[in-house]
Amino acid sequence: MAARKNFMGYVFTAPAIILMLVILLAPVFIAATLSFTDYSLGNSSFNWVGLENYLKMFSRSTYVKMITASVTYVFIVVPGSIVLGLGAALLIHSLRRFGDIYKTIYFLPVMASLLAMAIVWEFTLHPTIGIINKTLASGCGNFPEIFFSLGWLPFVDGSSSWYSTCCREGFPLWFGDKAYTMATICFIGIWQSFGFNMVLYLAGLTSIPRELYQAAEMDGAVKGWDRFKLVTWPMLGPTTVFVVTISTIRSFQVFDTVEAITRGGPVKSTYVMMYAIYEKAIKHNMVGMGSAIVVVFLAFVLLLTFTQRYLVERRVHYS
Amino acid sequence: MADIRLRSIEKMYGETAALCGIDLDIRDGEFLTLVGPSGCGKSTLLRIIAGLEEQTRGEVEIDGKSVNKIRASKRDLAMVFQSYALYPHLTVWQNMITPLRLRDLSSLERMPFIGRFVPGQRDKVKSLHTLAGETAHTLKLEQLLHRKPGQLSGGQRQRVALGRAMVRKPRAFLMDEPLSNLDAALRVHMRAELAELHRNLKTTFIYVTHDQAEALTMSDRIAIMIDGEIIQLGTPDEIYKNPRDRRVAEFVGSPKINILSGDVDESGNVSIMGNHTGIRIRKRIKKVHLGIRPEHFRLVNGNGATDSWPFHVTYKENLGSDFYLHGHLNGSKNRIITRAAPDEVGRITIGETVKVRARQGKPMVFCDNDCRIDVMQEAGYGSA
Ligand SMILES: Nc1ncnc2c1ncn2[C@@H]1O[C@H](COP(=O)(O)OP(=O)(O)O)[C@@H](O)[C@H]1O
Ligand SMILES: [Mg+2]
Repeated sequence: MAARKNFMGYVFTAPAIILMLVILLAPVFIAATLSFTDYSLGNSSFNWVGLENYLKMFSRSTYVKMITASVTYVFIVVPGSIVLGLGAALLIHSLRRFGDIYKTIYFLPVMASLLAMAIVWEFTLHPTIGIINKTLASGCGNFPEIFFSLGWLPFVDGSSSWYSTCCREGFPLWFGDKAYTMATICFIGIWQSFGFNMVLYLAGLTSIPRELYQAAEMDGAVKGWDRFKLVTWPMLGPTTVFVVTISTIRSFQVFDTVEAITRGGPVKSTYVMMYAIYEKAIKHNMVGMGSAIVVVFLAFVLLLTFTQRYLVERRVHYS
Repeated sequence: MADIRLRSIEKMYGETAALCGIDLDIRDGEFLTLVGPSGCGKSTLLRIIAGLEEQTRGEVEIDGKSVNKIRASKRDLAMVFQSYALYPHLTVWQNMITPLRLRDLSSLERMPFIGRFVPGQRDKVKSLHTLAGETAHTLKLEQLLHRKPGQLSGGQRQRVALGRAMVRKPRAFLMDEPLSNLDAALRVHMRAELAELHRNLKTTFIYVTHDQAEALTMSDRIAIMIDGEIIQLGTPDEIYKNPRDRRVAEFVGSPKINILSGDVDESGNVSIMGNHTGIRIRKRIKKVHLGIRPEHFRLVNGNGATDSWPFHVTYKENLGSDFYLHGHLNGSKNRIITRAAPDEVGRITIGETVKVRARQGKPMVFCDNDCRIDVMQEAGYGSA
């Protein structure tokens, strides 16, 4: 009888299980299989190559650069967008009026198409006609240069500062100079995503009981920083874990800006994983290699999810 | 140790007045209870005393000094919240030591690691630990120190909240319905414990509750609040025996006092449904309300003629030690409740009509707009 009930249970959940197998697990399985081959789209057959694709990935400098680029991007964008998102949320939460206006403004980049925004940024940061460099150049020799070169501070040589050097030798090629490109792409990434984190943090902030702040006040937490340490930050723990996970996964997936502006360059400095997958598997038709990158990518995401699930969540949910 | 004085405190929320002119002197070391129905402004008043909310008008004085301009954390009061408001990420021990650390250590000394190198920090921390340890011992929290609030029962959380309030040895304790989240048995137990704690600490307690039983059992004095006003202030005994307002009489006492409408003749004699009561008032009005507590009724044997009223029993409520008989006086629709001893009611069946009588001197007379009317004299019958 029990066995029969068990069987019926599987029958009822079958549609969901089948869908999950077909839509989620089968593609992953196929990709994993292909990653051990040299398959190209259109070929009728393929050869098994064993771990060759993976060995390449960890030995060839292109792929090492790919992992470096992705990890760098994640390590800059995740903290940046979280700190900004939390800061904006705290400020907006403390406002009595106009909070909605700020929320809308900061959230706009999240809703906008990143591809379109990338093009806007490309123009804005254009080395000669871009508004940023033009504005910077117009400051040369004037108050902005004097002020920002910090030459007015004691023991600081103003003429060797970044601003003054640029005035002499020209302002950076934001997307052409290896030293700046990754930072610029990260900046756009932060600009685009911190509004999303802000909304999550705002939701987290509204759910903190007011009585906890009052208890902190009665206990003598006079300074804002004390209250933040004692109440706000710990109570935002679950939100932070969620935000970190989501931001990290989204940052690993960065593609639009790279494809639209840098195409992975210069010298592969922005050759992030998603772009590498696209380039190898679609442009160069090396599906086997592309699949291997996909598998590594999935491994990263899985690792992250498990860390969140089993290590961190246990420590931030208090009841 | 503090006496707290409130002078014509008013609080407006927009157009609506939550408090309208509260004057109250709370003596040093007193257990004062603010009691009233939900929404009457008790919490608001308590939070104004604490400094968590600002009054629209009026003055709060602690030890003779106005604290209107002093923020909550500097008033040296401690508050126990209805929800306990424990820090969920900290252990019981950390929860209890937090107020001490915030008060006695500077920001630098509180820093992890670096703080240890500030001269004198070790000794300070040691003395804080001693203080917190003493409090934990008093409240029997020693077994729970390493748990987080989420792993405690309601009663234990309540105790930790008390501990967090106590460690600092504040000038006064403010408590906002601290027992209302506990189950009935634990509530009765905690009542006794709180009263004992007050006796030992000898600190001023201001206690807010909507439960009149808590107020009666624990307080030195009770302030009854209704609609943003204190309508009577007195010892539990005074409040119960001599309410100066019908609303007070109705609020205090369980089951509720019975209110019967009475008629007054030209010479001031009060009668209910044509039955004499033997009560006479001086005031020249036609209608009054008679308040009689359930325990002030007596069952009368036989057909005691004029001095008793026919009572139609509709329900018998057995409390073990007592019986409450529900029913109505003949001809009246008002449901009334009388108390009787178990051996008296054995023979009474539901639907039966028995005779009852109010104990002499016990009925209270109220006018139409709730004021109390003093009774001039009572005819000398019914010696109960
Ligand atoms: N922040 C607020 N804004 C508007 N009205 C409030 C606010 N806080 C309390 N009130 C009103 O003030 C009155 C008294 O509230 P409160 O002091 O909480 O009553 P209670 O006696 O139940 O503790 C209530 O009518 C309530 O609706
Ligand atoms: Mg309340």
